[in-house]
Amino acid sequence: MPVDRPSRARRAALLATLVLAALALAAPLPVRGDRSISFMAWGDPAELTAWSSLVESFRTAQPGIDVELIQVADQSDYRQRLGADLAAGTPADVVLVNYRRMAGFAWRGLLLPLADRLRASEMMDEGAFWPGLLDAYRWRGTLQCIPQNIASLVVYYNRDLLRAAGIADPADDWTWDDLLAMAKALTADTDGDGRTDHFGLGVEPSLMRVAPFVWQHGGEVVNDPLRPNRLGLEGSLAREAVEWFVALQTVHHVVPDAVEEAAEPSEDRFLRGTTALFLNSRRGVPTYRAAAGFDWDVAPLPRDATAANVLHSDGFCIPAATRDADAAWAFVEHATTPEAQAVVAGTGRTVPSLRAVAESDAFLDPSLAPARSRVWLDAIPTIRTFPILPGWVDIEELADEEIERAFYGQVSVEEAIRQAAERTAPFFLAGGDA
Amino acid sequence: MPDPGRVAALRDPWRRGPWLMLAPWLVGSLLLVGLPALLTLLLSLTAYDGISAPVFTGFDAYRIVARDPLAGRALENTLLFLVAAVPLRIIGALGLALLLERPRRGTGTARVAAWIPAVIPDVAAALVWLWIFNPLLGPVNLLLGALGLPTPGWLADPETARIPFVVMAAAGLGEGFVVLLAALKGIPPEIRSAAALDGAGRVATFRAITLPFLVPWLVVLSIRDTVVALQWTLIPALVMTGGDPYYSTLFLPQAIREEAFDRFRYGPGSALIVLLALVAAAVSVGILLLARGRGVTDAD
Repeated sequence: MPVDRPSRARRAALLATLVLAALALAAPLPVRGDRSISFMAWGDPAELTAWSSLVESFRTAQPGIDVELIQVADQSDYRQRLGADLAAGTPADVVLVNYRRMAGFAWRGLLLPLADRLRASEMMDEGAFWPGLLDAYRWRGTLQCIPQNIASLVVYYNRDLLRAAGIADPADDWTWDDLLAMAKALTADTDGDGRTDHFGLGVEPSLMRVAPFVWQHGGEVVNDPLRPNRLGLEGSLAREAVEWFVALQTVHHVVPDAVEEAAEPSEDRFLRGTTALFLNSRRGVPTYRAAAGFDWDVAPLPRDATAANVLHSDGFCIPAATRDADAAWAFVEHATTPEAQAVVAGTGRTVPSLRAVAESDAFLDPSLAPARSRVWLDAIPTIRTFPILPGWVDIEELADEEIERAFYGQVSVEEAIRQAAERTAPFFLAGGDA
Repeated sequence: MPDPGRVAALRDPWRRGPWLMLAPWLVGSLLLVGLPALLTLLLSLTAYDGISAPVFTGFDAYRIVARDPLAGRALENTLLFLVAAVPLRIIGALGLALLLERPRRGTGTARVAAWIPAVIPDVAAALVWLWIFNPLLGPVNLLLGALGLPTPGWLADPETARIPFVVMAAAGLGEGFVVLLAALKGIPPEIRSAAALDGAGRVATFRAITLPFLVPWLVVLSIRDTVVALQWTLIPALVMTGGDPYYSTLFLPQAIREEAFDRFRYGPGSALIVLLALVAAAVSVGILLLARGRGVTDAD
């Protein structure tokens, strides 16, 4: 049976269809404004409302520039997406980057330096930011990103649980011992099955969480804060602080163990009302406002020999591969106006990087939880930053693994610290490529 | 001058047809598999951060990988997973196919139930397994506890964290099950009837007739499952553990992803991909040699 050959006309029609399809795929997508940029940010649904409201306010202020908001739910997905986009040369035009990760991009020349633009800006003034904050975004002396917030670690607490136990709110000058005593008093096996049902405290075992305790005790996280080339946790004061932190789980059992944490993470337990105190930065606020069915507030970190805290901050960065640097800068300028910062602060997500906004009702609104938001501002003079190193993210990841093992009693603190120091040492090298 | 015979052959639709039919697949394979594989091989001989131009460094990336304890850990975890998951999948699929071969009451429902886990997206399945193996609230430990048996920490314990991955992989045996069910249907019934007439019991019939008929299918499935299992862990690991606790569920695909896309080290990342491909090739050749030693050839 002979096979029918397609007629010449049908072949031409087929070819034309294919060509049209290819052209349709290659054509640029239609845009709303004359110019179009994209802004990529991360956060859970409650946090992402902050970025949607920022984008909306920019669309109103600058109708000629359309902004596409790219939302990534998870922080580690966001980092990998950002890394892949930057490597592929197709990043969003404005990206949120944590100051601890900024150097890893800056040393490869992936970010557009912003020092000159900030100096020339008529909308922005360097002096309006909290003193010292811009330094966290300088790579080899040049400003790379504009900070959008200046958060730090605080203790969230369930006031209902404290009241029920007859415990007063944590004082502004409470100490490590006060924290431990309170956590012990609030840890209980309520149904007598031999397993703890209410935990006094929840905290993630990581370098970021343990660092302020190390500094408060007089230790150092790196051997030389100015010229670091090794972790500093081997020093005796630092080791004592890590031991105290680890003992919260291994000795006092006021924090869930590895199995309990895997079964139900501490943040979920806090939201469910079965963990009384929870250490987190400002990022918990939108979610807790929406989901916590109890009276809650925040207290400063308890102090030891001194008060100290660790900077939690993201900045608006413009990738060097942006398609429209001027439009991207216009978005960053807008995002850093007092009006826009007030809009974002209103969602609860940020501690504004502009001092005037942070000290206004936009942030301190007494009618919105947490009533003690001022603790973030009071902590600012004690905030320290991690070293600005290209390999810092790798250092933290490796150190976190070791701290977690010690925290869950799988190795001694001494062994964990030794392993952390040895494994992270290569990443302190200049350039960051071990 | 072109050979008139060949030109005629090309004009003949019967000769040209198969190539035309194959063309989309061939072009796709070359562009989407062959070319990236070649580029990966070339990248593995370079230092490349995705930004500056790649620098040829010979086998340096392989030396970096060989010295990297985490790469070694990922390879070890991947091999342990492979050795446990692939035989479980094949034996499970074979057992289910034998069990559900003959139509009885409820066979249809049981066949669908065996097939369904294979079509559930990995992300959704991983979330379900995360709950099933939840050390305090999950059904597995609730059942074990009710029976008075020890309740492991599963994904929270470095000693047991890989087991849920193996179980999850084994549960997705639907494709192998369907293939083996079809293969069983392909065995001429008169051969088994004759064996039964000769007084062969079930075990003897299985060993002397059913199994030899199925061996070529089992070989194909083993090779296919090996290749799939080597890559499959990425999504479940990202959803369930992220490689924790302490790298006990760090498998090669995640190690590759982190090396290349998190640390911008495409040279060692590509070297790890080549390593993954070599493992797949070595295991596949091993299975083929084993099968050939048992008298199975392509002619079967």
